Parts: sequence; structure tokens; C-alpha cells
Amino acid sequence: MQDNSQSLATTQAKKVPQAKRQSWLKRNPHIPFVSPTIIIMTMLFVLPILFVICISLTNYKLGASLGQIRFQGLGNYIRLFNGTEAGFYHSVYLSLMFTVLGTFLQLVLGMACAMILNFEFKLKAVAIACLIVPIAMTPSIASQIWKLMLNQEFGIFNYFLNNTLGITVSWLDVNHAFISVLIATVWQYTPFVTLMLYAGLRSLPDSPYDSAKLEGANSLQMFVYITLPMMKRLIILCSLLRVIDMLKTFDIPYVLTQGGPGSATQFLSLLIYDTGFGETNFVSRASAMAVILIIIVSLLSLILFRAISRAREE
Amino acid sequence: MSMATLKKKLGRVILCLAVIFICLVSVFPYLWMILVSLKERVLVYQPEVWFFKPVFDNYVNVFKNRDLGSYIINSAIIAALNCVISLVLGSMTAYSLARHRFRGKEKAAFFFTFIRILPSVASVIPIYVLAALMKVLDTHALLITVYLLFNIPFTVLMMRGFFEEISLEIEEAALVDGCNTLQTLTKVVIPLAMPGMVATAIFCVINAWNEFTYAMLLTTFRTSTVPTIVQMFKTVTGIVWGEMSAVGTISTLPVLVFAMLVQKQMVRGLSFGAVKN
Repeated sequence: MQDNSQSLATTQAKKVPQAKRQSWLKRNPHIPFVSPTIIIMTMLFVLPILFVICISLTNYKLGASLGQIRFQGLGNYIRLFNGTEAGFYHSVYLSLMFTVLGTFLQLVLGMACAMILNFEFKLKAVAIACLIVPIAMTPSIASQIWKLMLNQEFGIFNYFLNNTLGITVSWLDVNHAFISVLIATVWQYTPFVTLMLYAGLRSLPDSPYDSAKLEGANSLQMFVYITLPMMKRLIILCSLLRVIDMLKTFDIPYVLTQGGPGSATQFLSLLIYDTGFGETNFVSRASAMAVILIIIVSLLSLILFRAISRAREE
Repeated sequence: MSMATLKKKLGRVILCLAVIFICLVSVFPYLWMILVSLKERVLVYQPEVWFFKPVFDNYVNVFKNRDLGSYIINSAIIAALNCVISLVLGSMTAYSLARHRFRGKEKAAFFFTFIRILPSVASVIPIYVLAALMKVLDTHALLITVYLLFNIPFTVLMMRGFFEEISLEIEEAALVDGCNTLQTLTKVVIPLAMPGMVATAIFCVINAWNEFTYAMLLTTFRTSTVPTIVQMFKTVTGIVWGEMSAVGTISTLPVLVFAMLVQKQMVRGLSFGAVKN
């Protein structure tokens, strides 16, 4: 691809010399194409981040008039780290656990499903259509249905479990709420990972597999020594996308458990919401947490971004 | 039957079962939702009842009493306009990233990918405060604009791969034949990139149609979208499951049908857009 863009650049360069003074636009043909989005994205991304940092340094409460706003320095941040904000560490821990477990499950299951889809069989279009259902279903509404299905007394899950194994699980109590949110999330987002990895598997070349077969490699060896290395970059890309979304997760736990019972599923995003909009109106304290969340997501994704560019160089 | 064919047969059976299992798990919540939406109120609490006389009261009720129609119209306006703007602006940028050579190009590409890190609960705080100051809370325009935040970067990521796939000779030939840049784009490049655009459009519509956090916090009643309707079904007597399910069944249907129709492009879109980059 690099060559292509170079050759376009050279053809353009060849054409221009007749008009000795190139117009500024001719020299920068990308400006009209790129600048609208850059401007919009700066307004929607950079400005809010700067603004949220500013708010986090004040004592702003929802509904407070402008005159009441006072500069507070790092007060809101100190509160978070010296233990005044009791649930903060717990929420950070929950969010990280949720991200690691969720991403791992989605990648493993997604890979397994993609490998199965990669076999030739009839009605594959139907199988892919089924996988599109979770992608298309609205997470907030799907979570309500999960809430119904996981209900202890009249949920279909316990009905099945009761009839087959004779056990009843209270899915949404303190001990199981985290797992329930995890199940709903993995169900919702694994198909996307599957389709992406499936698309990647389809674009792998045949020749390495053919020669491996000639040398008598079994399928496990081919998976470990051929498929995984060739898919490495895509797998890291998938984990990057999933890690980011898992850390940001809001709608599924908000609808399914409201962060409870107690604070069993009080992820950082839910804590921010409760502090700023839900239970209390301390927007400035919520902003400080939001800044911390942004920092956590940025750091983790930067690590994965670097891994991707290293994989690309290989 | 020899051992080898037996083994092969067994493999097919296992594969078959695995595929059926995956399909069932994927569609079960949706099927269950349809089932619940057709049940009478008492039957909702009896999961063992699979066969019953379907009633459509829930569907009638959500339109008559819950005003589902206006939620759907709001969602449709926002998703459609947002999708068009994202596609036009995002594709322009993607095209430029695929074709032009300029300083800081990879930095710009990184910037678009990096935008995804912004959590909606974090950005909704400043956006809420700013929108309140500008008096644009609870308007279509606000959500259409805010949704650009995730749909433009997505379009750029997907479409860049598609534009890079289009051979340069075709474009150069068009230029030689006397087309100007704009004509080359509209007559040659865009038709060739159409499959990618369709795939990207579906994902953009799905993203905007299903978005919850901004919709919940930035709208009150005039421009509320379908995902926010879940809050309405929490009553003192518990959640009205039947009506809730009817809403879910209806609201997922248009996106689902559309996605099914173009599923080939969706998979192709992922392999060109995200996989190759």
C-alpha cells in the first residue's frame, strides 16, 4: 500500500511543474479531507477531557450557581486516595478484574467459535445470522431480559438447573452478581470477536498449512505454530478493543444490577455515575474519578497499541 | 466402515453439535424475549409453560400507553443522520489516510483509534454541563453530534482498509480520462468502496441505535431514544416484563433484518477494514 500512495504522489508531482507556483491546496491535498473530522474530534474529545479536568479541581455540584464554584486544587483526588471515598479502591479492583476476566473469556470463546465457523458446512449463513443477534440487540434491553432469565424464582436458568441438576442459584445476590454481569457481557460481545477472528482466519494463506500437513503435523501443532503466530496482531487488536470497552462498561451492569447488591458490581463507571448524577450530585468528585478512569484506560490501551505496532514490525 | 471414515463421521457430528450449540446460545435471549412478549401476565412467571395461546396485548399497549412510536422515531432520526454524517466525513478522512502522503499521517490515524478510550460516563459530565450552558439538552442535534465521537473513528478504521484495496491504476486512469478529483471520487472510488460503506453503515447504525449512557443523561422526554425506555418499565409492582419484551422485540427487529440482509458485507467489511490495518 505504501508503494501505491507513493506513486500517486509522484504522478501528482509530475503534473504540477507546469504551474510553477503550486497552490497551497495542491501541495496539501489531504487538508480538506482530514480537517473536518480532526476539528470535530478535537471538539468532542480534547475539550471534554480538559473540561472534566477543570471541573475535578473545583467543588462543583449539580445545580450549583456559578458564584458558588470554588477552586479546590487536588482536594477531590486526595479524597480518592486517602480512603475518604470508601468505595473507590473496590471499584477500581472490580473494573480491572472484570476487564481481565471478560477479555480473556471473549477471546478464548471467540477464537473457538471462529475456528468452528472456519470449517466448511452447509447453512453457514444461518450460523453467522445467529451470531449477529447479540450484536444487534440493544445492551440495555438485553440486560433486562437477562434479569428476567436469571431471576431466582421464575427465571428460565434456574428452571433448567432445577430440573437437570436439582440446584437453585440466586444469580443476582452478592456472591453471584459479578458472574451474572460477566455472563451477560460475554454473551453480548463475543460474537463481534468471533466475526473479526473469523474474517482473519479466512484471509490466512493456505501454503503453510499444506506444507505442515506434508510434514505430518497434527491440528493442535498447526494451531499453535501457524495459526496463532499469524493471527497475533489481530488477536492483540481484538483484546485492545475489548479491554477498552470492558473498562468503560456501563449499560449492562447499570440495568442488570445497578451496581449492587451492596457494591458487588459497583464498577468504576457506575461509581462515577452514582457520585455525579445518581445518589449524590457531586459532579466535581465524579470528575476526579472520571479522570482516573481515563488515565487507567489510556495506560492499558497504550501498552496494547505498542504491542500491535511491534507485532506489525515482525 | 473403516476407522478413518468413522472418525471423519464422528468429527462431522461433533462439529454439527457445536454449531447448533453456538446458534442456540446466541439467539436464546431473543427467542425468550419474543416468547415472554406473547405471554399473558401470569404466564410470565411460569417458565415451564412453552406452549400457550399468544396474546398481542403487550404490543398494543407499548404503542398506546408507552408511546413507543415516538421513541422509535427519535432513534431513527438520530441513527440515520448520525450515520450519514459519520460515513461522509469519516470516509473522506479514511480516503486521505489511504491515498495521500503527509506529515503526521500515522499520528492522525492513531488519534482516531485512541479516541475510543474516552469512557462515556466520563465525557458525559462535561458534555452535560456544556450542553446545559448552551441550552441544547434534549435535542436531536446534541445526540447526533455526540455520537460522532464513536462513529467517525469507527468509520475511519473500517474504510481505510477498503480504500487501500482499490487499485490505484483505476483512479489514475480516470484522472487521465479527464475526470477531476471530485468526479473520480464520485464515479470511480465510491462505487468501488460501496460494499465497505454498507458494512460500515450497519455498524454505525447499530452503535447509534443501541447507545444508552449519553441517551439516558442528555435527554429527558422529547428526544429519548429506544434504549432509555428500559427505565420506564420499573414500576412499584416490579418490572412489566411482557411490555418490556415487546419493546425489545420490536426495537431489535429493524437492525436485525438489515444486518441479516447484508451479513456477507459485514464479514467482508471486518476482514478488509479492521483485519488488514
